[in-house]
Amino acid sequence: MTDSHLTRRALLRYGAYGAGAAALAGTAASWDRLTGADIPGRDDGSLVVATLGPAYGPEAIRTLQEGFAELHPDIKLRINAVQAVDWSDFFAKILTQVAAGTAPDLVYVATEGVQLFAQRLGVALDRWVKRDAAELKEYFADVHPSLVESMMYEGSLYQLPVEFNAADMYFNRQVLTRAGAAFPPADWTRDDFTALLRDMKRTGGARFTPYFWTNRLWGGVVPWLFANDTNLLAESKAPGGQWLWDGFYPAGQRAGRGGGFRWTTPQATHDRVEEVYDYLASLIQDGLCTRPEGGNGQNLIGVFSTGRVGVTPAGGFWAGGLHLAGMERDGFDVQYFPRWRTQRMQYGAAGYALLRTSAMQDEAWEFIKYAARRDTLERLFATNQTTPARRSLLTADRYAKTGPAHWPVFYDTLDRFPDTGPIPAPPQVAEVEQVLLKHTGTALASPRSVRPALRRMQGDLEKAMEREV
Amino acid sequence: MTNTRIPPARAARPEPSPPPAPRRPPARDRGTRLLATLFLAPTIVGIVVFTVVPIAGSVGLSLFHWNVIDSPSYAGLSAYGEVLGDETVLVSFRNTLVFMVFAVALQLLVALTLALAVNGRMPVWLRSVFRSAFFFPLVLSAASISVVMKYLFNQDFGVINWLLGLVGVAPVPWLTSENAAMATVVLVYVWQQFGFSFLLFVGGLNNIPKEIHEAAALDGATGLRKHLTVTLPLLSPTLLVASVVGIINALQVFEQPYVLTNGGPGDSTRTVVMVIYETAFEQLRFGEASAVGVLLFVLIMAVTALQFRLSRRFVHYQ
Repeated sequence: MTDSHLTRRALLRYGAYGAGAAALAGTAASWDRLTGADIPGRDDGSLVVATLGPAYGPEAIRTLQEGFAELHPDIKLRINAVQAVDWSDFFAKILTQVAAGTAPDLVYVATEGVQLFAQRLGVALDRWVKRDAAELKEYFADVHPSLVESMMYEGSLYQLPVEFNAADMYFNRQVLTRAGAAFPPADWTRDDFTALLRDMKRTGGARFTPYFWTNRLWGGVVPWLFANDTNLLAESKAPGGQWLWDGFYPAGQRAGRGGGFRWTTPQATHDRVEEVYDYLASLIQDGLCTRPEGGNGQNLIGVFSTGRVGVTPAGGFWAGGLHLAGMERDGFDVQYFPRWRTQRMQYGAAGYALLRTSAMQDEAWEFIKYAARRDTLERLFATNQTTPARRSLLTADRYAKTGPAHWPVFYDTLDRFPDTGPIPAPPQVAEVEQVLLKHTGTALASPRSVRPALRRMQGDLEKAMEREV
Repeated sequence: MTNTRIPPARAARPEPSPPPAPRRPPARDRGTRLLATLFLAPTIVGIVVFTVVPIAGSVGLSLFHWNVIDSPSYAGLSAYGEVLGDETVLVSFRNTLVFMVFAVALQLLVALTLALAVNGRMPVWLRSVFRSAFFFPLVLSAASISVVMKYLFNQDFGVINWLLGLVGVAPVPWLTSENAAMATVVLVYVWQQFGFSFLLFVGGLNNIPKEIHEAAALDGATGLRKHLTVTLPLLSPTLLVASVVGIINALQVFEQPYVLTNGGPGDSTRTVVMVIYETAFEQLRFGEASAVGVLLFVLIMAVTALQFRLSRRFVHYQ
């Protein structure tokens, strides 16, 4: 028997509340999911292009918009400069827009995200490239095939590269002079590099650190792995892509090309990977380089330009950066990364990826072509804030004001070392990068920490690579 | 409740008279109730929309695998099993608890000490200056403070090591050694956060009647003894509020470790909210991230409930 004093009236009232709540829940469940696109005025029929905010200031955005409007007055263009600390942060914000139902039509994507976007969100550009082959001949003739290959995934092309940056080695000229060292030759070795750091340290004083590096996927440990003829993940090439190589590149340049890179089995416990970590740990022990947590891009320009750092890996983007920081064109210079077992170098490239959700795919393709035009890139990258993907744009005139003296190094990296490749960035790149950064910090705590940390890195990488993205 | 057996003693009692039928309240009371409901409605709607629904949504999402791009797929409780078997998640909970203990203890100690000092004898204008100065860091952005602190604590180029170097101290790895990094994150957090507890304590101290202190002084209680036996017991309700708020905030710490150390070296400063962010927005595992969020919610509720339980013994209301 239930001991209750529920009256009939109360029973009816609670019954009505329950029915009302059930009706509300049922109505809500039966509705289509509301998204950001349902906000009135949000979708004004524009072609929406998302770019990395810090790389595209107001001037660059105006340049892009004005140039495109001249060519395509019928296509309304909106450029959404997303503010982000780095590429990983940028992709997180773009994916949040995708989740909110306000995905842009085009996203500026660097190597870090090429495969993630290609696999899950992107549209292959193959059919448009084949259709407009005659128009694009001039573009491909001006762009190194390695950059194009880095934008391919499983045989299809997903982006036209517009910029790239290889990790070359920058020197503060004043520090070199103070150490009594000569500018190193192009074929310098890892031992030359170590000797140079020791010379710098000897003459630099207590508050000077010869080598500064940032713990990240691009320009951190990876260039040393490449120089030691290894990689974080086993690297191979996907089949396919012959339609592109045969159509646009001469036989000499298409040899060995495939349908894009594949990064699969983790190899953090490989002997050569251990050698790299042992080497970096020894540099830290000897006070020749910063710890991984110590270096970051935010204060790098400051400490480099004031001579508290002598050497650091950076790309063509630093020519403009150092100039803006007040360094004279002869205050710094650049050379290839030193040779270890090889002199293979790493780079990252970027271009526009077309999203599957776009309802304006043909218009988006027109923007992709426009963004890769020579005149567009010339105006867009006038301040040397990056290395243009078009070889013809790297001229003495371009670097006359900013320096460095050895500016041809930026593009010649690709020609002189043809095996130079992109940073390892599989679709699971976010987790791979996180694992790399975390265990690099632990591994370099002391020379004894290297092996245990690399074993943990291997385990975590294996888990990350097994995970479906 | 269903009765299956009736004890004889109770059965011998006379049958209780049925309760009177509920009567409709008079029309004036109904109007007052309606008015009260209308006034409360915005708050209730706000709490439901911005607190209850997100919590329910998070619990619901923790039962699905969702990567933003594809439709969510039901996964039951597998996300909980996955995150509880993930070493990084467990380490982050341990770090967060360690952080909470040291940060809250230091925050309360600093705030209370300064509040007692400011409440002592000093000109009114100077008291105002101190109150504003101690509260000021709280109104600044935690992220921007952390960026500045990152420069200051840099092992190779930071001002703090430079100053220490002037007196012959070797560079301290503030952010680059596992033990020092957590201590530095705690210091930066406390520096910014103690202003809130400080203001609470100043208010609480002002509410203690002066007569009690005078009586204690007549009884011979002075200095530290007076504070321990008189001030602290009377301030205990404020201490409870400050510690509850402090613990809840500390368990949700994100900006300082994210900017200062990015969770490193290794995982030594990785906190639970950092793991939620990384799992959701970098690895696109929203179900697992929600599961971690739900576990953190349960932890916060448990710690807060424990605090209120203990407060019955230690908190004295006047």
